[in-house]
Amino acid sequence: MRLSPRRLAVYCVAFLFAILVNFTVPRLMPGSPVDSMIAQLGPRATPAAIEAIRARFGAIEKPVLEQFVDYVVGLAHFDLGVSVKYYPQTVTEVLGRSLGWTAFLVITAIVFSLCVGVSLGAIAAWRRGGRFDTIITPFSVVMIAVPPVIIALATLFFFGVTLRFLPVGYAYDPSLDPGLNFTFFGSVFLHAIMPVLTLSPYLIGEFQTTMRSSMISVLGEDYVTMGRAKGLTETAVMFSYAARNAMLPVLTNLALMLGAVFGGSIVTEIVFNYPGLGLTLYTASVARDYPVIQGQLLLMTLATLGANLLVDIIYGIVDPRVRESAA
Amino acid sequence: MSSSFTLFWRQKKALAGLVIILSLCLMALFAPLIAPGDPSERVGRSHQAPTVEHYFGTTKMGRDVYSQFVWGARPSLAVGFATGLAITALGTVVGLVAGYFGGRTDATLDLLTNAVLVIPNIPLLILLASFAGTVGPWAIMAIIALTSWPWGARMTRSQTLALRNREFVVAARMVGEPAWRIIFVEILPNLAPLIGINIVGSIIYAIVAQTTLEYLGFGDPLSVTWGTMLYNAQNSSAIILRAWWDIGAPAAGIALTGLGLALINFTFDEIANPQLRSGPALSRWLRLNRLRRRELGAAR
Repeated sequence: MRLSPRRLAVYCVAFLFAILVNFTVPRLMPGSPVDSMIAQLGPRATPAAIEAIRARFGAIEKPVLEQFVDYVVGLAHFDLGVSVKYYPQTVTEVLGRSLGWTAFLVITAIVFSLCVGVSLGAIAAWRRGGRFDTIITPFSVVMIAVPPVIIALATLFFFGVTLRFLPVGYAYDPSLDPGLNFTFFGSVFLHAIMPVLTLSPYLIGEFQTTMRSSMISVLGEDYVTMGRAKGLTETAVMFSYAARNAMLPVLTNLALMLGAVFGGSIVTEIVFNYPGLGLTLYTASVARDYPVIQGQLLLMTLATLGANLLVDIIYGIVDPRVRESAA
Repeated sequence: MSSSFTLFWRQKKALAGLVIILSLCLMALFAPLIAPGDPSERVGRSHQAPTVEHYFGTTKMGRDVYSQFVWGARPSLAVGFATGLAITALGTVVGLVAGYFGGRTDATLDLLTNAVLVIPNIPLLILLASFAGTVGPWAIMAIIALTSWPWGARMTRSQTLALRNREFVVAARMVGEPAWRIIFVEILPNLAPLIGINIVGSIIYAIVAQTTLEYLGFGDPLSVTWGTMLYNAQNSSAIILRAWWDIGAPAAGIALTGLGLALINFTFDEIANPQLRSGPALSRWLRLNRLRRRELGAAR
């Protein structure tokens, strides 16, 4: 698989940009964040900890360029600094604990929405102007415009507080021991329903509208007419000829939406008290735990870049035109 | 252009969206008449359910939710609209410059656009906001605008690339018009539908981002906006106490704004891209097609 150097340059610049933001913003802020962090540590502030924070946030006598080199070398060794709130734990440890839950939530929501949204989009395009299309399509557009906070709060109120048939908060029943058994998995599944349902409307809306417009342009192609001329059934033409090819723009859109999905997952995790990266970010931001907030940005940027890279690769495999030109 | 306008007016969806947005704007504009008095004033007991006296009930602090809802529309809508315009202006200028000049300028700007596009926005916003401490509405606007322009820039760039070698642009260049005039007077008007979509989409995005930031507690806690109302309601555990009015009012305000804008954008999309239309004309055409097919079948 060949990747265009242009795309790689974009990813490098994006990552560099995130590092630069992390490096410069604390150094540009008027009231130095260093003092507030040392004050936060209180009695736990050993000279070593103070020294580490000072070095990281630029409150030392050293040329800026040298500080930057130190910073990048540290990052290359996965050194994201120590957490202020959970001192003496490192940022890597704090983030590592919650990373899995967010990945689980986001991936489940994406897979679920992809199935629903793409089917809805394909059907709406196939019966364009029909009753299904005129109801579902505007509905999708509206779903994209409603902030995840609103959907999360509404879901929590109706399903968690009023009807009370789904658990509110935590990733699994805290009285259970995590283990490889059905009770535990069942608990994890039940606790994930509401957060996933909250994340999905935006995703389904995006997938539906993208799929619909790409499907509409595909339906005019010769190979669809060819499929019809062969006398294939409607469903065969729709899924094997049209929808398969119309999926490609949906993939591109998916990679670009990932940032917004992370935004949605932050809010969702806070509302449902779900122990993922978003909740960690929130507690960190309330405690002004800057090293954790910074680590978060790097991690999420890295995840988005990774996903984009993955989509580029999948695109090359799925789209015969790209595959042929690369070979 | 005039045909676009009639198309726009014929669409019931766009009309409904416009009515929603206009009524919310009027409500914000005439807040002193509709809800006289200070919205932060304590006027009743804690968490009173809606009554004739307090249409939307009261908050935990005993403040009138209706009055907060009306006054909160002002900063929420103003920041949303201003931020949307700022995002669009930035994106359009970057896209136009990159697309028109091409070469190295384009390569650099395009690289920058794509790079900022893949950086997850909300985490970046949270980082900037948390270093800035609590930020007022206008600082929120600046932060959102600076991180969200790339989407529009990309669309504008590709449209500009398609236009830059058209006859009227080449002619303008030969006459010796300065570059800024070609960009803003010759090319820009052709991008009107695109800019319309961009503005509405950016306002939607700005309102989502603003709500998220304020809900997370980065807003100015003393200002009354829909986002800080949500934040305060959440902090006073309004949901667990089933004080639905406390959360419901600001949530409805934000959701209605999103709904109105989405309906308008939907129509803009259909105007700019006729392929996507599904209005009355299309239904008529489909019906005719079906009839014809049936007749053909009968004839066979």
